[in-house]
Amino acid sequence: MNLALQFLANGLVTGAFYALSALGLTLIFGLMRVVNFAHGEFFMLGGVLGWVATAVLGLDFATAFVLVVAAMGVLGWLVDRFMIERVRGHGEESTILLTIGLSIFLANATLYLAGPAPMKVPAPLTGKPLFLGPVVLTKSRLAAVAVSVVLVLGAYLVIHRTRIGRAMRATFQDAMAAKLSGIRTERIFAATFALGTMLAASAGMLLASIYSAQASVGGLVSLKAFVVVILGGMGSFPGAIAGGLILGLSEAFWGGYVSTGTVDIVGFVMVILILLFRPRGLFSLNAQRA
Amino acid sequence: MGQKRLLLAAAASACMAGAAGAAEPIKVGLIEPLSGSVAYNGQSVVEGAKLAAKEINDRGGIDGRPLELIVEDGQCAPANTVNAAEKLIQNDRVSVLIGAFCSSATAAIMPVADKYKLPLVTGVSSKADLTEQGNRYFFRAAETDALLARAFAKIMARDLKLKSVAYIGVNDDWGRGGVAEFSRDLTELGVKSTLVDYFDHGSTDFYTLLTRIRAAEPDGVFVAAETQDGSILLKQAKEMGLEAKIFGVGSWATEDFIKLTGEAAEGIYAAVPYASTIPGDTNRKFVESYAKAYRKQPGKYGAAGYNAVNIVAQAIDRADSTKAEAIREALAKTDYEAPNGHYRFTPKGQAYGFSAVLVQLQGAKPVVVATSPVEAGQ
Repeated sequence: MNLALQFLANGLVTGAFYALSALGLTLIFGLMRVVNFAHGEFFMLGGVLGWVATAVLGLDFATAFVLVVAAMGVLGWLVDRFMIERVRGHGEESTILLTIGLSIFLANATLYLAGPAPMKVPAPLTGKPLFLGPVVLTKSRLAAVAVSVVLVLGAYLVIHRTRIGRAMRATFQDAMAAKLSGIRTERIFAATFALGTMLAASAGMLLASIYSAQASVGGLVSLKAFVVVILGGMGSFPGAIAGGLILGLSEAFWGGYVSTGTVDIVGFVMVILILLFRPRGLFSLNAQRA
Repeated sequence: MGQKRLLLAAAASACMAGAAGAAEPIKVGLIEPLSGSVAYNGQSVVEGAKLAAKEINDRGGIDGRPLELIVEDGQCAPANTVNAAEKLIQNDRVSVLIGAFCSSATAAIMPVADKYKLPLVTGVSSKADLTEQGNRYFFRAAETDALLARAFAKIMARDLKLKSVAYIGVNDDWGRGGVAEFSRDLTELGVKSTLVDYFDHGSTDFYTLLTRIRAAEPDGVFVAAETQDGSILLKQAKEMGLEAKIFGVGSWATEDFIKLTGEAAEGIYAAVPYASTIPGDTNRKFVESYAKAYRKQPGKYGAAGYNAVNIVAQAIDRADSTKAEAIREALAKTDYEAPNGHYRFTPKGQAYGFSAVLVQLQGAKPVVVATSPVEAGQ
C-alpha cells in the first residue's frame, strides 16, 4: 500500500512534467497546424540557456527564468517570421522538413558551442526531502509541479480570455476572414509560435534544475511530448494535461510492478491503440477547427 | 658497371623514400561518438587520444614521421560507425583504426577491419564476446565486465560487508553485461540478490525504480551507469533517503561526475580501470599533462584514448612499417607501460596485466581503496 502511494506520487509528478513538456507542442499544432519537430530542441535550449544564466552569469533562478523565457520568445518570433512564414500555405510536409532541419541545426550548434557535457542548473529550492506519511517528495519537485500548473493555466487564459487570444483563435479558424476584419495575421502566427517556444523553454529550464540539461536531450523530449499530445488530442490543453498524467501514472505503475527496463512499451502501445481506435485523441476538441 | 648503377639507383630510391617518409604523416583513424547520448564520454576518449598524439609528435613522431589522428563521429550507431570506418579506410587511407566506444558499434566494424585487413584497437568496448570471434585484426585494450567483476567481487563482498544487493543498470549490452557479471560473481560468494532491473539511456526520473529498491531493503546497490544517468540517479537516491551502500561501474571516478552529482556522490564506490589518483610516476606525469591541456583531471575514458593511441604508436614503431600485417604482428607483442599498469595482449587480443582500482569518493576525490590486476586467465 505504501509502495502504491509512492508510485502514485511519482506518477503524478512525472505526469505533470510530461504535460508541461508537451504544452508548447500541442499549442503550436492545435492552433497553427505546424508539426514542430524542433520542440525538443527549444526545450533543450531553455535548459542550456538557463545554465548559462545561472551557473555562468551568476543570476538568481527567477531572474534567469524570466530572461531565458523572454529570449526564447524572441527566438520563436524570429523563427516564425523568417523561416516558417516562407513555407506557410505550402502544405504540412514543408514545415515538417523545415522544423526537422531546424532541430538538427539547433542540437548541433549547441553541441558545438556548449559541448556535450551535462549541465546543472542550480535548483532554487533545496533542503531535506519531505515525508508525507510514507511518501517522499522534495520541495523543488513540488514547486516545479506548482509552476507547471500556473503555466498551464496562464497559457489557457491567454488563449481564451484575452484580445490576442481571441485574435489567435480567429486567425486559425479562418485566416482570410481574420485578415479582412483587420487582424494582422502574420503577427498572430509569430506570436503563437513564440508562445509555444516560451512554454517549451520554461519546461526545459524548470526540469533542468531537477534533472540536468544536455545538448542531446531534444529527441527524447519530442518523442515523449508526441506521445502525450496523441493521447490527449492534438491541440487540446486539457488533453495535454490528461495525456501527461496518464503517461506518468502508467509508467510509474508499470515500472513499479513490472519492470522499469520495459517502461517505454507502455506509452507507445497506448499511442498505437489510440491511433487505431480514437485517432483524434481522448479529449480532442473537434470544434476548435471548423 | 651494371652493379654500380644498380647500387646508385637503390641509394637514390632509398633517399627518396626517406624524404617522402619524413614529410608524410602516419594516419590513424579514430571513431568515437561525438553526438548523441554518449557524446560526452566519446569526447573524453578523443581528448586522451589527442594528448597522446601530441606527446608522440613532440618527441619527434614515429621514426621521424608525425602521427596524424583523423577523428570521425560514429554516434555509437552501428551503421554510422561502418560508414565512418569505410571513409577512413578508403578516403584517408589510415594505417590503423581505433574505436568505436559502444560494443555494438565496434562489433559492426570488426568485419570491416577484417575485410580490409586493417588492425582495429578499442580502448573502451567491454562486451565479452568481441574477443571470442576469432578476428585476428581486433585488439581490446580494455577490461571486460567479467574481468572487472572477477577482480572485485570478493573485495566488495568482504570490505563492504554485503549480504544482499539490488542490481540496476542502463538498458544496453554494457549495462546488462555489468549486472549479469557482478550478480553472478557476488551470488557465488553468497550475497543475496534482491532485485534486478534496468532503465533506458537518457532516463531522468528514477523515483519509481528507487522506491522499489528501498522496499527491497538491500545492503548494497550495484549500478552500471554512465555520467549523466548515474549522476541523476545518485542525486535522487539521496533525496529518497536510500541508505544502502552504492557501488558500481561507469565513469564515476571523474571530476565532472563528482561536480554534477554534488554531495550525493560522497561515499559511493566505483570499480574502474582508471582513476586520476592511482599512485605511480607514469600516472602522475599523465595527470599533469592532461590537466595542463584540458584543465581537468583525466577519467576512465580520457585514459582509454591515451592508452589506445600509445599502444598503436608503439606497435607501428616496433613494426618499422605501416603495413597492416606488420602492425598486427607488433600489436600482438604489445608491452606497454600505461598510467594504470602494464598492457599485454592474449592471443585472442584481450588486454591483461594492467590494474583496476576500487575507489571511494571522499571529499570530492576518488580515493583508491583497493587495487587488483586484471588477469585474462583460464
